[in-house]
Amino acid sequence: MPSATLLGQALISGVLAGGLYGLLAMGLSLSWGLLRLVNLSHFALAFLAAYLVYELGTSYHVAPWWSAAMIVPAMFGIGVAQHWLFDKFRVNELASLLITFSFAVILEVGIQLYWTADFRRYETEYSTKSIKAGAFFIPVLDLTLCIVAGLLAWGTWLWLRRTYVGKALRAAAEDPGIAAAYGVDHKRLAYLLSGIGAGYAGIAGTFIALIATLAPAEIWAYLGVVFAVVIIGRLGNPLGALLAGLLIGASESLAMAVLAPAWAPVVSFSVLIVILLWDPEWL
Amino acid sequence: MLLEARNLHIGYGDAPAVWDVSLDVDGGEIVSVIGPNGAGKTTLINAIAGMLRCRRGTLRFDGADMTRISAHAYCGHGIALVPEGRRLFAKMSVEENLELGCYLGKARAARAQSLERVYGLFPILRDKRRQPAGELSGGQQQMVAIGRALMARPRIVLFDEPSLGLAPTIVDDMFEIIVRVRDEGAAVLLVEQNVLKALDIADRAYVLEQGRIVAQGLPADLLKQPQIREAYLGV
Repeated sequence: MPSATLLGQALISGVLAGGLYGLLAMGLSLSWGLLRLVNLSHFALAFLAAYLVYELGTSYHVAPWWSAAMIVPAMFGIGVAQHWLFDKFRVNELASLLITFSFAVILEVGIQLYWTADFRRYETEYSTKSIKAGAFFIPVLDLTLCIVAGLLAWGTWLWLRRTYVGKALRAAAEDPGIAAAYGVDHKRLAYLLSGIGAGYAGIAGTFIALIATLAPAEIWAYLGVVFAVVIIGRLGNPLGALLAGLLIGASESLAMAVLAPAWAPVVSFSVLIVILLWDPEWL
Repeated sequence: MLLEARNLHIGYGDAPAVWDVSLDVDGGEIVSVIGPNGAGKTTLINAIAGMLRCRRGTLRFDGADMTRISAHAYCGHGIALVPEGRRLFAKMSVEENLELGCYLGKARAARAQSLERVYGLFPILRDKRRQPAGELSGGQQQMVAIGRALMARPRIVLFDEPSLGLAPTIVDDMFEIIVRVRDEGAAVLLVEQNVLKALDIADRAYVLEQGRIVAQGLPADLLKQPQIREAYLGV
C-alpha cells in the first residue's frame, strides 16, 4: 500500500486532471443533451485550438491568454458554421456521430499535414510552477484550469436554469413542437449553443496546449473517458459534467497509484457501469 | 372575426387528414369541434396553433395571414395551445413550465402578474411550483398546461381534448375553467370527445367526421338532429 502522502498527491493530481475531462465534457454534453447532436469533432476542435495556441506562442511569442482571446471567438464561429451544415442537411443524432467523426478525421489529417505527427511541447514560464500546500504540490496551470472549468460550469448551469434562453433550450430539448408553439425559435438558439460548445473546445484547447504534449493522434486519447464523463454527468448538465470529470480523474489517478498505471483506462468505464446499474437518485 | 379558417387542407406526408374545412371563432365565444376518434380534430387544432402546415386554404387571425408566418411566431399573435396529452416539459419545474408560456416579449413583461393569476386559479400549483411537472397527477398537469397557455396572455386558447384521461370529478372543474377563460376575455376553440360537456359550454359548434365538417350551428340545434343524437349520444 502506498503512503498517505503519495495517495494524497495522487488524489490532488487526479482531481486536477479531471478538470480537463470536465471542461471537454461540458461542450459535448450541451450539444448532445440539448440539441441531440453528438459532436465527435469537439476533441479535434480542442486540439486545433491547442495547436494554434502552440503556434502563436512559439512562432510569434503571443501569450497563451491573448491567443485564447482570439481563438475562442473564432471557435464560436466554427461552431456556428458547423451547425449551419447540420441544419442544412437535417442531421439527426446518429448521423451526427458519423459526420462529426469525419470532421474530426479531416481536422486530424489537416493538423498532421501542417504540424506533422511529431510530439510538440509548449514550454512556458508557468509549466513548472506549483504551489506547495503542506506535503503536497499543486501545479499552477492545472489549478487554473480547474478554477476556469468550475466557473464555466457554474455559469453555464445558472444560464440554463435562470435565463429565458436557457429555459427555452431545455424545453425545446424535451418537446421542440410545443416549445415552438410558445414562441421558442429553436433554430436560432441551436446556433448559439453550437457556438458556445465550440468556444468551450477553444478554452479546453488552450489548457491542453499548456499542460499536455501535442500530437495529432492524441485527439482520440480523450474520447472514451470524456464520453463516460458526459454520461455520468447526465446529458445537458454542465455542473454534472464537471463533477463527473473530477470523479473520474480522481479514480483514475488513485487506481494508478494503488494498482498500476495500466489500470487507469479501466476505471472510467467501471465507474460508468456501476453508476448506470446503481442509478443513484442524487444524480 | 378573430379566427377565420377557409377551405383548409391539412395532412401528414401524402395523406391529407383534414379536407376543405372552414371555421370561425369570434372574440369572447367558445366554439367546440366534436367528432369521433381519428376525425382530424387534433390535426385541425395543431394547424391552427402553427405546429402543422396547411397545404391549401387560408388561415387568418385578427386579419393577419397566418399561413405565411413561422410556427414560433403564432404565440406572439395571441394563439395559445393546451395540447392533447398536456405535453408538459416533464423534467422542468411547474413554475418553469409556466414561464415558458410567457417566453415572448409582452407576455414576459407581465410575468409576475400572470403567475399570480394562474396561482389564483389553481392554488395547488403554488405549493408545487418547484416540483418537476412530470411528477404531478393528471389533473394537476392539466392545470399546468392551461396555466402555461394563460401565461401567454392569449386572445384565443385552443384546448385539445382537455378532459382526456382525467377523473370525472376533475373533468367538471376543467370545463368550469374553460368557461372562466372565456369570461375573462379570451376566445376558446375546444376539441372534445366528451360531446355533451363540449356542447353544454359552447356558444357554437362544428361536427368533424373523417376530416370534413358535416354539421355546424348552435349546440341546442345540433342536439336536436337525430343523426347526431344517435352517433354521439347513443339515443
